[in-house]
Amino acid sequence: MQSLKDRGSTQVNVPQRPILAARRRRQLYPFLFHMGPVALCVCSVLLIGLMAVLYLSQVGQAVSANETLVQLHTQEAVLQRQNQDLVDNIAQEQSPSYIAARAQRMGLVPADPASVQVLVVPHLKPVDSHDQRFKP
Amino acid sequence: MSTELKRARNRQMLIFLLVCAGMLVLLGRLYYWQVVEAHSGHNLAQLANEEHVQNIVLSAPRGLIYDAEGRILATNVVRDDVYIEPIQFSTDHPDDYQSSLVTLAHSLHSVLPQVSEDQLYKDFNNGLSKGLQTMRIATRIDPSQSQQLQALRLSDIFLEPRTWRIYPQGSLAAQVLGYVTQSDTANQGVYGIEGQYNALLAGKPGSMTAETDLNGNPLVVGASSEQAPVNGADLSLTINSTIQYFTEMGLAQAVKQMGAQSATALVVDVRTGAVVAMAGVPTFDPNQYWQYANQKGCLGSEDVYFNPALYCSYEPGSTMKAVTMSAALDQHLITPNTTLIDPGYIAFPDAPTVYNWEDLGYGTETMTQVLEHSANVGAAYVAHNILGPSRYYPYLARFGFGQLTGLNDGPETPGTYRTPSNSPQVWTPSDLTRQAFGQSIEASPLQMAMAYATIANGGVMMHPYLVSSINNNGHVTTIQPQVERRVISSSASQLLTGMLMQVVENGLAKTAKVPGYTVAAKTGTATTQGIADTQTEASVAGFIPAQHPQFAILVKIDRPQATIYGGTAAAPLWEAIAQQLMWYYHIPPDDPNS
Repeated sequence: MQSLKDRGSTQVNVPQRPILAARRRRQLYPFLFHMGPVALCVCSVLLIGLMAVLYLSQVGQAVSANETLVQLHTQEAVLQRQNQDLVDNIAQEQSPSYIAARAQRMGLVPADPASVQVLVVPHLKPVDSHDQRFKP
Repeated sequence: MSTELKRARNRQMLIFLLVCAGMLVLLGRLYYWQVVEAHSGHNLAQLANEEHVQNIVLSAPRGLIYDAEGRILATNVVRDDVYIEPIQFSTDHPDDYQSSLVTLAHSLHSVLPQVSEDQLYKDFNNGLSKGLQTMRIATRIDPSQSQQLQALRLSDIFLEPRTWRIYPQGSLAAQVLGYVTQSDTANQGVYGIEGQYNALLAGKPGSMTAETDLNGNPLVVGASSEQAPVNGADLSLTINSTIQYFTEMGLAQAVKQMGAQSATALVVDVRTGAVVAMAGVPTFDPNQYWQYANQKGCLGSEDVYFNPALYCSYEPGSTMKAVTMSAALDQHLITPNTTLIDPGYIAFPDAPTVYNWEDLGYGTETMTQVLEHSANVGAAYVAHNILGPSRYYPYLARFGFGQLTGLNDGPETPGTYRTPSNSPQVWTPSDLTRQAFGQSIEASPLQMAMAYATIANGGVMMHPYLVSSINNNGHVTTIQPQVERRVISSSASQLLTGMLMQVVENGLAKTAKVPGYTVAAKTGTATTQGIADTQTEASVAGFIPAQHPQFAILVKIDRPQATIYGGTAAAPLWEAIAQQLMWYYHIPPDDPNS
């Protein structure tokens, strides 16, 4: 029989550390928990699948965004075009020739300068300011 | 070895050999593309990139041109060009190609009447025989036509948008603006403001390189690079559309009434040098400039696209007498009341005798009356006997004759005249006596207008300008009025203004009188050596209101037939323009005697 003291000394002589380290390595590698080869394969497949799904989701979002962008570009071009047409229309309708033609169509005739009565107000100061003249 | 095992081995061998053969074929193909083709000059990588990478030129919108009151004179619109794909069409319709083409042509013609069906067949077959991928069949179609074509959804027909330069006011100020020639690759401003400021107006096109989808739309995913375009600068002119329109209408009417060949008119703000109106007849429509390629202006010497106020120099005739008088007044050599005896002619020892128009003699007349009668004798007397070359020519130079006015630093004619210094071999005193009343000197209408604007502005010449501000993508540059130089003294200017007012009150420019306003003006009836005296250039130059000058106006009618004189051919239009100016700008009447 071995005494407790002996047993204790026997344990000291047994090289336990490398076995523990190997076990731990096996348990830790590649994960922090024990995993058999089948489970590892399944996990890998699941992980790759997840990554693929994420990637496809991203690509899908990008494609969707691209389509939205193309639509917005098209819309912008249409609006720009409409804006330019409207600017052109306004410019045409503001033109003196257009106004004169419209006035003529409405039956208006240019005033005869000879029939204009000019009233001269003595000491009325002529408009001196250049700005005032251009903003009557 | 059993027979079954042997068969199995043979099958394995066969499969192995087939796989090997397949691999060999693939290797051979790989060798072909990677080695043979790579060394045959084809850049396969580039060809592959071209399939899905596009370099897109982002065109910069051309800057707009505004008048002094913010009305648009030149803008841009997008219009579609119509294209057909001949090869694709023939591929898409292998069996019923002809009948499909007939249907297509009919559909196209119903929307685009300008595209004839016969021409379309011809062009289509030509395109097909030449192997053209795409072929343009119509340009710049109307927006309504674009909508109709889009609604029809014709196969192998597509629309390509293109930006076009448009002048909403048609021919208004066409010779000031110029036009833009447009091609598939570039737009180029020609003549006028469009030509002179082309670099500023055109902006800078950008570019985008990106991977594209099957429809050519750029993809968000994938590599791309973009250089944004720089928009063209917007220009604001000093031209007022209303005054310009009235001036152009008046000119066209005057040319018609007088049976004249052409005409020019100018309105200048005397205080700033800003050109308010600048018109010529004949003119053109910049929206359809190509239709005027054969038309001539400047009495047939220049294309109609040239601005006659800048390019068409002429002998100013009697309007020049005011310049002669100003030189003598400024040097205190005469006063308005200085007299001479005018028998209708004056003889010089070193120059030919000068005669008045129709040899009319006026007896003793003052310098004011010389202008009132428009007497050549008096003007020649002042230039030859009082001033002389040394005291006369410096004033012509100071008034800017023979020099460019520098209107926006653009091209123009400087005009010409002989002096003892610039033409020592050919100058004679006869040049001096004739230049005094506007012969033997050529000036542009703008030079004459600026000379009168100088007299009106107290003797100070302003630098003429057309562009009042430049808005370059938010960076606004405002062109300020600039004093060019003092030409005559303020007192000389006042004296001369008084003399010119008398010309309107009592002289040949009575027809230029505007009710309620004081007017200073001088008529001119210039004849040209070598042609009949009835072929004149009738003009009036002056300013209004004379007591507080605001505008200098020049009207010139070339070769009027109904009446040949400045006072009768040009003065009524001068008066009409002046009247409109006073009303338009709400300038109060200043003539208590009217």
